[in-house]
Amino acid sequence: MTSIIAYEPGASQLLMGNEAIARGALEAGLGLASAYPGNPSSEIIGSLAEVAREMGIYVEWSVNEKVALEVAAAASFAGVRAIVAMKQNGLNVASDFLMNLNLTGTNAGLVLVVCDDPSGQSSTNEQDSRPIAKWAELPLLEPATFQEAKDMAKWAFELSEEIKNVCVLRSVTRVSHARGDVRLGETKPPSRDARFAPTMLGQFTPLLVTLKHNMLHQKLKRVREIFESSPFNWYTGPEKPELLIVTCGSGWYYCLEAVKVLGLESSVGILKLGTTWPLPEKLVLEHLARTDKVLVVEEVDPFLEGNLKELVGDNFSALGPLTFYGKRSGHLPSVGELDPDQVMGGIGSVLGRERVAVEPEYSKKAQDLTGGMVQSRMIGFCAGCPHRATLWSVKNALKLDGRGGFVTGDIGCYTMGLGPTGFFQLKTAQAMGSGAGLACGFGNLDKLGFAQPVLAVCGDSTFFHAAIPALINGVYNQANFTLIILDNSATAMTGFQPHPGTGASALGEPAPSVDLEGLCRSLGIQVEVTDPFDIQDTTQKLLDLMQHDGRVRVLISRRKCAIVRAKEEKAAYKVRVDSVRCRGESCGCARLCTRVFQCPGLIWDGESQTAKIDEVICSGCGVCADICPASAIIREAA
Amino acid sequence: MSLEVKGCRELQSEVLARDLCSLCGACVGMCPYLVTYKGRVVALDECNLSQGRCYAFCPRTSLDLDLLSQTVFGVPYTADELGTVQQIAMARAMDDGIRSKAQYGGTVTALTSFALEQGLIDSAVLTAGDENILPSGTLANSAAQIRDCAGSSFVAAPTVAAFNRESAKGDVQRIGVVATPCQALALAKMRASPLENRNNVDKLSLVIGLFCTWALRYEDFASFLAEKVPLGQIVKFDIPPPPANIFQVFADSGRIDIPLDQVRSFIRPACNVCIDMTAEFADISVGAAEGVAGWNTLITRSDAGRKLVEAAQAKGVIETKPLPEQNLAHLKEASLLKKKRGLNKVIETTGSDQDLLYLRLASEVVRGLLS
Repeated sequence: MTSIIAYEPGASQLLMGNEAIARGALEAGLGLASAYPGNPSSEIIGSLAEVAREMGIYVEWSVNEKVALEVAAAASFAGVRAIVAMKQNGLNVASDFLMNLNLTGTNAGLVLVVCDDPSGQSSTNEQDSRPIAKWAELPLLEPATFQEAKDMAKWAFELSEEIKNVCVLRSVTRVSHARGDVRLGETKPPSRDARFAPTMLGQFTPLLVTLKHNMLHQKLKRVREIFESSPFNWYTGPEKPELLIVTCGSGWYYCLEAVKVLGLESSVGILKLGTTWPLPEKLVLEHLARTDKVLVVEEVDPFLEGNLKELVGDNFSALGPLTFYGKRSGHLPSVGELDPDQVMGGIGSVLGRERVAVEPEYSKKAQDLTGGMVQSRMIGFCAGCPHRATLWSVKNALKLDGRGGFVTGDIGCYTMGLGPTGFFQLKTAQAMGSGAGLACGFGNLDKLGFAQPVLAVCGDSTFFHAAIPALINGVYNQANFTLIILDNSATAMTGFQPHPGTGASALGEPAPSVDLEGLCRSLGIQVEVTDPFDIQDTTQKLLDLMQHDGRVRVLISRRKCAIVRAKEEKAAYKVRVDSVRCRGESCGCARLCTRVFQCPGLIWDGESQTAKIDEVICSGCGVCADICPASAIIREAA
Repeated sequence: MSLEVKGCRELQSEVLARDLCSLCGACVGMCPYLVTYKGRVVALDECNLSQGRCYAFCPRTSLDLDLLSQTVFGVPYTADELGTVQQIAMARAMDDGIRSKAQYGGTVTALTSFALEQGLIDSAVLTAGDENILPSGTLANSAAQIRDCAGSSFVAAPTVAAFNRESAKGDVQRIGVVATPCQALALAKMRASPLENRNNVDKLSLVIGLFCTWALRYEDFASFLAEKVPLGQIVKFDIPPPPANIFQVFADSGRIDIPLDQVRSFIRPACNVCIDMTAEFADISVGAAEGVAGWNTLITRSDAGRKLVEAAQAKGVIETKPLPEQNLAHLKEASLLKKKRGLNKVIETTGSDQDLLYLRLASEVVRGLLS
């Protein structure tokens, strides 16, 4: 990745959407950036951290999204422009603070970037975050291009300062993670006069709630006026379109392509909105008056569609008959990510035209082209991942224990423990820290006949983020469960960001490291530490911990993430398979390593009917040597 | 008839899920999937094979007693009360030291040590309890090790698993096993198995069977006992002859008597469908001599068994005397009663005398037993 300040102003640079947002913030004179990592938002703070020293700004990975927003708000209160970034789930964590911050207002520009993940490609949901802007009565911007991502981010600070409130910038995976050319502007140094000096009594408090609520309405009214002339909204198409498409964000490119492929430029118009809440009502009504058919294209929920219909309801008598098409009418899918093909289908069915579908062979051709280079592999743990080893012991311990015990989990790489490479061990996965929270509940159901052992898992970063309150709750309410902290010393899933336990700051400088054992022990909890690569010891510790009754226990399963390990140290072992000893598919093994254990470092050789090591992928952890029933997998010191 | 062979999935659905497992250990010790833990057979992962040794060797699957009898003794299965018999007598070890440690007459310990000494076997698979009275199979290569295993466990033990593990090793060639009836059945099935891999059963040189009426479930029996005495202090168990009707626990701190009916509630369900009390597929079978303290009942079944007993007598390792008629009649009655009870329980379970779960018995044999 090239630094976002590597090029001169005026130059055009290929930037990822998230980098463009970060660049826009620097051009606005950003002073502080904070976030908890979460895809698809992680690169915003990541790329700012890289240039923090040079730009003289403060950047931090916060412990969670609520704290991140609070940190950014403090900067704003003190007159420093600040940006906070999060994924859609993170916004829920931050929302408690946000729903009060909107009322108290801000000082210097404060931009909240939320990156949604249609289809949940790296998320546990595909929540549409936009309704929070309406709920909190805050302005909402949705970039459709990479240039716009940068320009909107920059302008959002001015808007925020104009109305003294948070401005929400909403991106989606295809905007955040794709790359495009961005024309750069001047970066601006931050204000260095940080000082907290309220100008009104109770300015940053909820003093006089209704008065402040009324002020919030006034601010929103002002935003609507500003949006009427925003350059982020435009129309292309005929004066009186047969069909008017109203779209925003990622949908715009899909619409452009669909209309072009269908050859409908002369009959279908596209109203592209960059300011989606509050709606620029005059502008929108002007366009609605020129058609009788409206198709709304957006990701994920019919948020814009609903707001347009509200607007039409308010102006019913002034408008002619209008028919709306979109997600609610079934002309576009109501779930998942959109693509040009789906939009073409929507337009075609509204206008009664033949759908020009993507070439049927398209995906096959793409596969043929890349197939030789990219091996097809199911989603799962990496070779040498400590989570696989821990979950192997968890599986065995639960089977041996035999009382129907189970695992509650949450968000991290280990969420994949719900699938085959984690032996289907995770039985629940919702929010950050919810494995421990659920375990608190299960762990007190003994009064209602419940008799199953409960194991909660959470990663080290998730532990700091949200599991600590649940753990304390478990201690206080004497819940019966074992919390397994999968300590891989990284926020691995989002790109190995440091966290309070790693001893490094966002800038890679040494930072105090919070002691997991010490923290848990201070709560009066029995704490055991295990090396997940020692399967026998880990299984035994789990069996013993499950036998204890009454209180919360903690097992810290500690091994560095295999990818971090590979960057820092040499493989511990050279692993090979003795093909004479390998029992293969015969009774006595039935391919335990390649069929059940499923480390990608192990491959099944159909020709020799034995397992083999994929030397390119094998990380040399040596765990498979311990699970081989025939001692055919041999590890030698590397 | 023949022995039907299916896979691990069927072993789980037909045996484990139906509580028919006697914990003999025959399915364990050969693969990474099946293990025993605290008196249970546990499947750690799904094995996808359609045929496996686990199913083939299990004494609670497809049990063709005629085929087994032909394989082990070369004669058809007759459903006689005591199985194939060459001789029946009372016996005891001549060595006082053995007798003092042994449950009854020390015949098993004496004969096993003698077989080892004579080179008939080079190692013995026996059963020993741990400090929590959890028994498991263990390999003994010396008279001292054999003597350490003397005494009855009463808790089901996966002893055949030790045979499975040890027979795979190169350093043992002739193995003797001291086996309960279900364990002896498993070893006979191993011999008769149609599978190519018969688990080195050729190394099985001697099976000394133990009389058995039932065995106990470990986990809840152990927790029950632990409330009365620390498990580590328990030295041995005994059931004195009727009409005492008690289960004796000998501990460092003294003897605890438990009403036998309380202990019976911990009997493995699998024992209720068993029709073998005297280990009919062993070379010799040994049990208590009811009413005669310090002596065993000894049934000699195979030629190998007869030779061992005769040599041991000749060398003064054991002494024998005739079993009184009344005792023999009583033994036959008890054995037949177990067959009837087991068969009735099977029929009660399936609801039909045409479906006998694991038993492959000719209908005239069934009629004969139930009449």
